[in-house]
Amino acid sequence: MTATQINSTGTRLQGQDLVIENLAAGYGKVQVLWDVSLRVAPGEFVAMIGANGAGKTTTLRAVSGVVKPSAGRITLGGRDITRAAPSQIVGLGLGHVPEGRELFPLMTVRENLELGAAMRPEARAVQAQTLAHVYELFPRLSERAGQLAGTLSGGEQQMVAVGRALMGRPSVLVVDEPSLGLSPLMTQTVFGALRAVNEQGVTVLLVEQNVGLSLRLAHRAYVLENGQVVKEGSGTELLADPAVREAYLAL
Amino acid sequence: MELFLQTLLNGLLQSGIYALVASGLALAVGVVGIVNFAHGEFLMIGAFLAWALSAYLGVDPLISLPFAALAVFGVGALTYRVSIRHVLLAPELNQMLLTFGLGILLQNLALIWLGGNTRTVTTPYQGSSLSIGELSVGGPKAIAFGLAVLILGALYGVLYRTTLGRQMRAVAQNRRGSQLIGIDVERVYLIAFGVSCGLAAIAGVLVAVLLFASPTVGLVFALKAFAIIVMAGLGNLTGVLWASVVLGVSEALVQTYVPGGGGWSDAVFFLLIFATLVFRSFRGAR
Repeated sequence: MTATQINSTGTRLQGQDLVIENLAAGYGKVQVLWDVSLRVAPGEFVAMIGANGAGKTTTLRAVSGVVKPSAGRITLGGRDITRAAPSQIVGLGLGHVPEGRELFPLMTVRENLELGAAMRPEARAVQAQTLAHVYELFPRLSERAGQLAGTLSGGEQQMVAVGRALMGRPSVLVVDEPSLGLSPLMTQTVFGALRAVNEQGVTVLLVEQNVGLSLRLAHRAYVLENGQVVKEGSGTELLADPAVREAYLAL
Repeated sequence: MELFLQTLLNGLLQSGIYALVASGLALAVGVVGIVNFAHGEFLMIGAFLAWALSAYLGVDPLISLPFAALAVFGVGALTYRVSIRHVLLAPELNQMLLTFGLGILLQNLALIWLGGNTRTVTTPYQGSSLSIGELSVGGPKAIAFGLAVLILGALYGVLYRTTLGRQMRAVAQNRRGSQLIGIDVERVYLIAFGVSCGLAAIAGVLVAVLLFASPTVGLVFALKAFAIIVMAGLGNLTGVLWASVVLGVSEALVQTYVPGGGGWSDAVFFLLIFATLVFRSFRGAR
């Protein structure tokens, strides 16, 4: 199950599917996820929305292997990654843009980006092309290439975080709250880049507080409440749903 | 003027060993995130290895140096696997108690097996000396400094030019970020802790040549290494080099120019920690 397209620099990006079945997870004795099931088809753009503490970030951390699930199953391109280590999961093609960006502050923008490709041989082989592609996506980053990542503005740091994940040539990209602390203009830039990446064939799972924007961008979306999926549908369906409008759009 | 230059030179030569010990400690603190109070004891193991190989097998310490480094790298990696790894997520007090206890354990094992006497290593170059113009340097000191510079050069080459080194610096700067881009953080911790101990052992071999081996020989070097990494800023690997030179030269200046300075020089590092912390807090308060 893969979707292939040719992007502007002529390199192929392939999307894989990401399937989560009956996932339960938490931190120590505190259970956060009770029953999360969702499916992102190859090349699809899916959003996950929900209130603070609903378990969105925990779901993404379980996908990355940082949080170990207590029950359920996660597969990436058909391969079971439920108990895999984070480094193995990256090797299988997952890119994670974490909440809070988690950059290397004392390294330059370029070093941050290059490290994104360092741990996957197939990504390292095409590092130069991917770097050119990332600079094309975010021209600002090529201007800032030699600057320390810790000295960038919040928006620029978010661009580095997205770029660093893309450097690993992921087939599935999970993105956690990219708009946090960003100006509306910067948010548009970052979301525009995510759309472009998705149009090149990469599967995207986006977690966002900015419900209106993400529902307009996504093909489909899931609503998470108290660690459970309570609703799913296409972006336009959920935008029209009275309960969603009241709870998340305050309309 | 000559005396002043000689003093500077002595200080600089001394700083080589300090930098070795402190770089190792900085790796443990910066990369692995553990304050290793047993660091001096890994130095002590290196010193005794050099002494034992020389006394029983007649191997020159400079030849046994790579073996001591490798052996203690192994000891360090094993220590990480069986103990350090399990407290990394525990409160800091638990981590400190663990490494403090490890230090006491290693020191007392050495006392039981080897006794409290100091053991000296005899080498053919012990009495030799080098002269540069008007200045003169003891042969062993010059050799120790040369080796320290070589090894530190290699260490920083690895840290800044290789993938493994980049991974280490990445983990030091952001653990979670490193995990998410696919770095095997556990593996990096194991290697960094092993290298940290190996560096201490190399310093230990040099200390055995310059001074002696004894169960407590590592203590004062470990304390000074703590002073150096505080001066450099915790986790700052490059700052360690200049901070070592500052300590070495300050000690030499005190030895030369303060009456009865030989006794005071070992207190200099306290003064430097004190000055650094006061300076930092003033700067922070502003």
